[in-house]
Order: sequence, then C-alpha cells, then structure tokens
Amino acid sequence: MGETNPGMDDAGTILAVAAGEAGALRRLYEAQASRLFGIAMAILRDRDAAADALHDAMLKVASRAAQFDPLRGEAGPWLGGIVRHAALDLARARGRELPTDDPNLGDAAIAPDALERIAEAQQSGRLRECLAALEARNREGIVLAFVHGLSHAQIAARLDEPLGTVKAWIRRGLARLKGCLA
Amino acid sequence: MIPSDPEMLDALAAEYVLGTLDAREAETVRRALPVDAALRDAVDAWEARLGSLTALAPPVAPPPALWDRIEASVAGRPAAPVVPLRTGRLWKAWATGATAIAAGLAALLVLRPAEPPRMTTVLLSSRDQPAWLVETEGGGLRLASLTPRPLEPGRVQQLWALAPGATAPVSLGIIPAEGRATVAPGVIRPEPGMLIEISVEPPGGSPTGRPTGPVIFIGRLAPAAGT
Repeated sequence: MGETNPGMDDAGTILAVAAGEAGALRRLYEAQASRLFGIAMAILRDRDAAADALHDAMLKVASRAAQFDPLRGEAGPWLGGIVRHAALDLARARGRELPTDDPNLGDAAIAPDALERIAEAQQSGRLRECLAALEARNREGIVLAFVHGLSHAQIAARLDEPLGTVKAWIRRGLARLKGCLA
Repeated sequence: MIPSDPEMLDALAAEYVLGTLDAREAETVRRALPVDAALRDAVDAWEARLGSLTALAPPVAPPPALWDRIEASVAGRPAAPVVPLRTGRLWKAWATGATAIAAGLAALLVLRPAEPPRMTTVLLSSRDQPAWLVETEGGGLRLASLTPRPLEPGRVQQLWALAPGATAPVSLGIIPAEGRATVAPGVIRPEPGMLIEISVEPPGGSPTGRPTGPVIFIGRLAPAAGT
C-alpha cells in the first residue's frame, strides 16, 4: 500500500476538471506537461509551435474532460492523443513544412533500443512484441508517422522508397499489428 | 465520406490515429466522430493499440510561461463544460436506440394532417428507454412523457436546447410534474440537429443558467418522415 498509480491519479484529475474543480486543470498540466510537450516537440520540432499545440490541447482537455470515460481508456493515452492531434493539425496547417532535413531526425525513434523504451510504458509489452515481429520498414514507417508526424511523402523520402510502396507498407503493417494485438 | 465497409472504416481510423491522413481527410473523420459510433469505436481501439508509442518521444520541459497563457485562454471561455458528464454513455445508448424508435414514430406521424416541416425526437434514458416524445408545434415545442415516473423529492426536471454549433444550452424552463409541457414559439427556433436534454435540478431550476445536475434524457431533433 501507499504506492501511487500515476495513471489513476490523472484519471481522477480529469474527472475533477470535468466537474469544474478549481485548480484541477493546473494539477493535470503539472503532472503531464513534460511528457505532453515532448510528444508535441517530436512532431513539430519547434518550441514555439509545440507550445501552441500544448496550449490548444489543454483547452480541448478543459472542454472535453466530461467525455473522458475511465472505464473505456486510460488517462495517459487519452491526453497523449489530444496533444498528438493538436500537433498534427498544426503540422498540416503548415503544409508539414517542418524541418525534416535534420539527418538525425527519427533515428532515436527507430533505433534498435527504441522498442525497449516502449516496453517501459505500462501494458505495452505486447505492442513491443508485435512491432518487433513486423518487417523493419513497415515498423519504421509506422513509428515515423506516429511519433514524428511525418506524412506518407516525407516517410517515402526518408526511406528512399516510392510513395505508393510506403503507403502499402504502412497499411499492411497496421493490419498485421492489429492481427497480432488481437 | 466515411466508408461503411468495416475493413475500410478500420483502415481509415488507423491512419487517422497514425496521423498520415491529409488535412481534408482528417477533418472529415473529426467531423464524423461525434455522430458515427462505429468510427469512434475504431478510432478509440487504434488509440489504445498505438498509444504507448508516445513513450518514444522523450519528455521535454515546456516554456515556463506556457501555463499562464493556457490559464488566460481557459478563463476567457465559458467555464462550465458544454456537454455534461454522463452524456457520453447516454449518447451511445441514444444512437443505438433512436433508429428503431424513429421508424415507429414515423408511422405515427404520417397519419397526421400535413403542417409546416415537422421535427421530432424521442428523448432516451441512460438505459436506452424512450422517455419523452418531443415534437415541434406551431414554431414551438410540445413534450409528452412516455413513461410517467415520480420525481425525486426536492428535485425538478429542467428542459434545455442546444442548437448545432452553439456553445451553451438554452433553458426552456422547468417541466411540470404532470409530464406534459409546451414551449412557446420565440423561446427557441427549433432546427434540425438541435439537441434537447432534460437535467435534474434543485427547486426553481439551475442556479447557474447551465445544467448542474445529471442529464437524464437526451435526443436530437430531426425532420419527421413523411413531411
């Protein structure tokens, strides 16, 4: 006993935001800001843009908190999804004209030890196994899109493959992942 | 267009969550989410499958001034949540039950003399039970309880309308205990897509001008078939 479950705490805080409790949104922000800002930074690679994304996301959290259902999902992924979509929207609004010429971009996310980091996240051992079972290029396409917000065209350029091939790989990779996780 | 084929719908949901849809496609999905339960379930499932990939993004401390900016923006907006808690599950129940009921209702309504475009809805309870019939009438609304039930002592039922695109519901008043009510023309202008809700409130109605108690019945106005 006495052990805290941070995910559970955050779920409670989201419900407190929904109930209009003063200070609840700030508590949630303080608990999650670094993780969420990191998610936005990985996609936008620009501190000002990532700050805009986190700002927009927190407003969405404030207005959508009543829709969070702890029986249907955990707080961390729910918040992460809102931030990711806010960052993706900004990336799309800029025509994804983001610095992608960084030769190291995405290397960390698709490096061999990256899968170990996924395994550190709760209940994701199975995702790690299923990702590991994919062909490397399928896996890399999925990770570059999800973590770094790269478009099909950007992934194709980075992996130096035709656009249509990359689209098909990603689609196939997602289908295999779904089958593996079922 | 959201595909009806389950496999194509799932593939679309997957790419929405992955982030590879272009702006137009992503917007189409986003607009469909509140009204398409199958799409929403597919998106939720993909968020759950892929969510822990966010662990690959290393945490980064945000700019220190960001919280103040967020706080100022939140303070500049209406404080109360627009959609109260509990409507999430109510909505789902409503979506699954409303179609079947609409069919029966349509049969009822086509027998009536034609009038200006008529709109109806059936408000459903959280258990998917039809509870109130709502119809437009002469520019106003008419409500009839389908399942008269005793109210909690010391509580009243308050009727609300939320127009499509509006940010806050408008009170249409307290519902009389006898289970019938009319809303005079001019209080609201009924329109297709308008959400009609009933919340439980203290005597005299919500003190805040927004629903404060649980929303126990909900439905959405739609043109009645046959008009």
